Amino acid sequence: MIRASNLSKIYGRGSVEVRALDGINVEIQKGEFVGVMGASGSGKSTLLHLLGLLDRPTAGTLIIADTDVTRLPERERTLFRLNRLGYVFQDYALVPELTAEENIYLPSRVRGMKAQECTRTCRDILSLVGLKDRVNFLPGEMSGGEQQRVAIARALVNSPAILLADEPCANLDSRNSVLILDLIRQLNRDLRQTVVMVSHENWHRKYFDRVIYLIDGKIVPDPGAEPGTAAP
Amino acid sequence: MLEEEKVALFLASRIIARGNKGTLFLTIMIIAMVFVNLIFLPSIIAGVVVLFNQQTIDYSYANLVVEPREGSLLISNPTSLVGKINRIPGVVASTPRYSSGATIVHKGKSTTPLVIAIDPERESQVMKVHKSIISGDYLSDSDTGQILIGVTLAGDREQKVERTPTLGGVDVGKTVEVTFRNGVTKQFRVKGILKTGTSLIDNNAYISRRDLASVLGDEDPANQILVRTTTTGDENAMRLLLMQYGVQEQIWTWQDKSLDFLKSIVGSFDIINLISTVVSLIIAVVVIFIVIFISIVYRRKQIGILQAIGIDRRIIIKSYIFQALFICLCGTICGCILLLIVLQYLAANPLVFPGGPVAPVLETGLVIRSIISLFLVALIAGYIPSWLTTREEILAAIRG
Repeated sequence: MIRASNLSKIYGRGSVEVRALDGINVEIQKGEFVGVMGASGSGKSTLLHLLGLLDRPTAGTLIIADTDVTRLPERERTLFRLNRLGYVFQDYALVPELTAEENIYLPSRVRGMKAQECTRTCRDILSLVGLKDRVNFLPGEMSGGEQQRVAIARALVNSPAILLADEPCANLDSRNSVLILDLIRQLNRDLRQTVVMVSHENWHRKYFDRVIYLIDGKIVPDPGAEPGTAAP
Repeated sequence: MLEEEKVALFLASRIIARGNKGTLFLTIMIIAMVFVNLIFLPSIIAGVVVLFNQQTIDYSYANLVVEPREGSLLISNPTSLVGKINRIPGVVASTPRYSSGATIVHKGKSTTPLVIAIDPERESQVMKVHKSIISGDYLSDSDTGQILIGVTLAGDREQKVERTPTLGGVDVGKTVEVTFRNGVTKQFRVKGILKTGTSLIDNNAYISRRDLASVLGDEDPANQILVRTTTTGDENAMRLLLMQYGVQEQIWTWQDKSLDFLKSIVGSFDIINLISTVVSLIIAVVVIFIVIFISIVYRRKQIGILQAIGIDRRIIIKSYIFQALFICLCGTICGCILLLIVLQYLAANPLVFPGGPVAPVLETGLVIRSIISLFLVALIAGYIPSWLTTREEILAAIRG
């Protein structure tokens, strides 16, 4: 599903050059739930940004769903994001002026779904994330957990090949974090949805099939894989 | 409608409907003020120009001026020519005049104004001097030895320093002595004082042609025939018509005869108007651009997020253009309402200018040009910032 070869991302030049990702190789299979972990500044968010086509690599190739996305022009990248990727942000990133349903409706409408079909799909997906009674609520009228569930619903509305989640529980309390992680895990199992999720919480490990652990932009063996070892 | 536009409109309508109402209201009001600013001053200037032109028609030249043939000082048989002109279609009435300089003396004060000899009844059908009497009465056809004095010429007894020579405060019923160019002197009783608000006219004196006939020894003296036509604006066509009907004298339109300084005042006002319009338009461009630019920059993160979830930048740009156009539409409507209120107020309480009361003149062309300009500005102001923001790196936009 995802194959990254010698993927690098370098910010700045010369003496101020920062290697956020340093020639990493990653392969993720369809239906996997992969955690990306590491300390702050290790490159985990950069990796997710590259996988989410929000940024371009400095070097290397990235193939997602048999498409070499590194070579895609901007408009094609936008279409790829719309049709093949679902992205969940740390701070929900909902459009504050749109209701829960409208936030989900927007990408499906852009994709070309008819208005009635959009509405039906939105309602179904809101039920799936347990928010069918929040259809007409604005983001400001919902709790953080509810907003993140709307964001997940929005990411899933176009049935993406991959769901990318950037620390989706970072702004949530532990109860809501468990609800969100349970939901993502359930979607992963029920829909065979490939999920790549960035996290720095050690207790999230139990949800992941495996962990890609990064230190200074390089993949290293996961220190948390051995029993009793905590992630740094 | 195309799908892309539908989505852009959906996004724009929700952002407008559920966005900050206070900001929206202020933005609309700023555009309304800009719209009023674009139109108000030019409409006042247009009002002043209309007043000047109307004063020229009503008190100086009517619509057309018939003058003696080249080489002649007088119009031959003017009464007969007036009758002929009055029968031409499109002519309301015409009246003969004889204008000449003369010396008027009152209690030792002397001045040399223009003395205009008129047929009072005919004159009142063509000109509006009879409506400008502020003291005493207008002349009648049977009057002899009576004179109308302009308020500026009459002067003021209290005024110690005079800007122009006057008769030092002559009143109705007083006698003045008029010496004509041929040296004949005659006493006249002041029958009325007139005030038009136009300093040139208020510095004139009016007597009847019957009185002048006895002075000149000519029973029908006239060096002008003023012609009032049914509509103002088609003077050139009327001049040709008069010529076709056999009027062989020289014929001028009131625009031809307008004094050079009046033409230069109107010309100066046109320049002020042009500068004011250009400056207002630049202010409009800058204000609208800044207001919409700030609004879009404020939503930079949102634009980044929309791009991140796969919304095409063209849809985002269009949604901001729709928002800008909607704000502009509301601003224009509010501006029109504000302008109508101001115009209603000024119609009831006109601005007083030296030439008389001035009511703003709203020119449809100016309003249409202003609306089109504002919409073009809104289009640009909506397009450029959203285009710039959507060209940014998505992550940079999301991070704000």
